[in-house]
Amino acid sequence: MKAGRKIQSAVFVIAALGTLAALPPRLLAQTWSVQVDKVDPGDVNIEPAFRVAIYENLLVELAKTKQFKQVYRGGDHNAGGPEVLILKTTVQKYTPGSETRRAVTTVSGATKLNVRSQLTTREGQVVLERVVDGNVRFFGGNLRATHNLARNVAGTIKKSELPARTL
Amino acid sequence: MMEKIARFERSRRALDYLLLLALCATCLMAQNPSGAVSASGSAIHVTHVLGFENIANNANGQLSIQEHTLRFQKSDGSNAHVGVDTIQDLSLGVEDKQVGGTAMAVGRAATPYGGGRLISLFSHKKYDTLTVEYRDPNGGFHGAVFQLDKGQGQVLKDALVAEGAHVTNLENQPTKPNAPEAKNEGR
Repeated sequence: MKAGRKIQSAVFVIAALGTLAALPPRLLAQTWSVQVDKVDPGDVNIEPAFRVAIYENLLVELAKTKQFKQVYRGGDHNAGGPEVLILKTTVQKYTPGSETRRAVTTVSGATKLNVRSQLTTREGQVVLERVVDGNVRFFGGNLRATHNLARNVAGTIKKSELPARTL
Repeated sequence: MMEKIARFERSRRALDYLLLLALCATCLMAQNPSGAVSASGSAIHVTHVLGFENIANNANGQLSIQEHTLRFQKSDGSNAHVGVDTIQDLSLGVEDKQVGGTAMAVGRAATPYGGGRLISLFSHKKYDTLTVEYRDPNGGFHGAVFQLDKGQGQVLKDALVAEGAHVTNLENQPTKPNAPEAKNEGR
C-alpha cells in the first residue's frame, strides 16, 4: 500500500517536471516583467506627439503579447525587482508623411519610422537588440505609423527567445 | 445609335453633377466652423487621440481646466483627469487630416474616374495637436495626445502654463509635420 503511494507520488513529480520542461518559451518569458522607458529621439527631430504615441502604443502592444508578468511605465517606483527588463527605444529615422498626399497620389506621402529597440537587465546587460520599422503607406492618419511600429516591436520580442531568469 | 449616345451623355452629365456636388460638400466640411477660440477655463471640444487611461482612443469630448486639474469629459459622462502640477511638458503640433472619416473614405474610393483623388485634394483640414506629458502617483510616465481645432492648442497651452504646468521649452511653436517629406536620420 505504502509502496504504491510512493510510486504514485514519484510518477506525479516526474510528470510535473516533464510539463515544466515542455513549457513554451512564451510562458518561460513570463518570469520577466518589463519597464518601458521614454522614447529617446536621438539626433532625430521627431514630433513630441509621435514620441509619446510610440511609448503609449508600446505599453498596450507589450501587454497584449502576454509575454511578461507585468508591463511597467518608465519611472514607476514599483518596477524595482531584478526580474524587470528595461525596454529602451531610440529613434533612428523619421520621415514625416502626409495623409492628403497619400490619398491623392497613393505612391507618396508615407510616414516612416525606424527605431532601435533594446531589452536590457537592470545591470545594463543587453538581452535583445533589434531594429524595427513602422510605416503608414496608404490608409489612416500619420500617427498610425506609431501603432504599426509598436506592434512590430512587440511581435519581434514575442518571436525572440528571452533567456531564462536565474532565481 | 443616337439614342445610345444621348443616354451615355445624360449619365455622364449626371456623374459630373454628382462629382461637383461631392466636391462642394467636402469644401464646406473642410471650412473651419469658427475662428473663435474659447477662453481659458471654459471647455474646449477636442478629440482624445490616445493616452488617457479608461478613455477610448479617438473619443470626442470636452477638455477643461478646473481647480488645477486638466479634465477630459466625454458626452456619456465618463471622464479622466490629471493634476496640472503633475504635468512635465506640453508640446504643440499641427496635423493635416482628411475629413469625413470612414464613410467619406469609402465614398472617395467609390468615386469613378479618379474623382476620389480630386475630392481628397480639397477635403482636408488642419488641426492643432497638444501633447501632455505627466507622471502618475507612482512616478510612472504618461503621455496623452489631443486633437483640437486650429488655433485652440496655443490657448489651452497658455491656460495650462498659467495654472502652473511645467513646460521645458516655452518658446516651442507648433511644428509643421507635413513639410515635403523631410527625412530625419540620426547618425
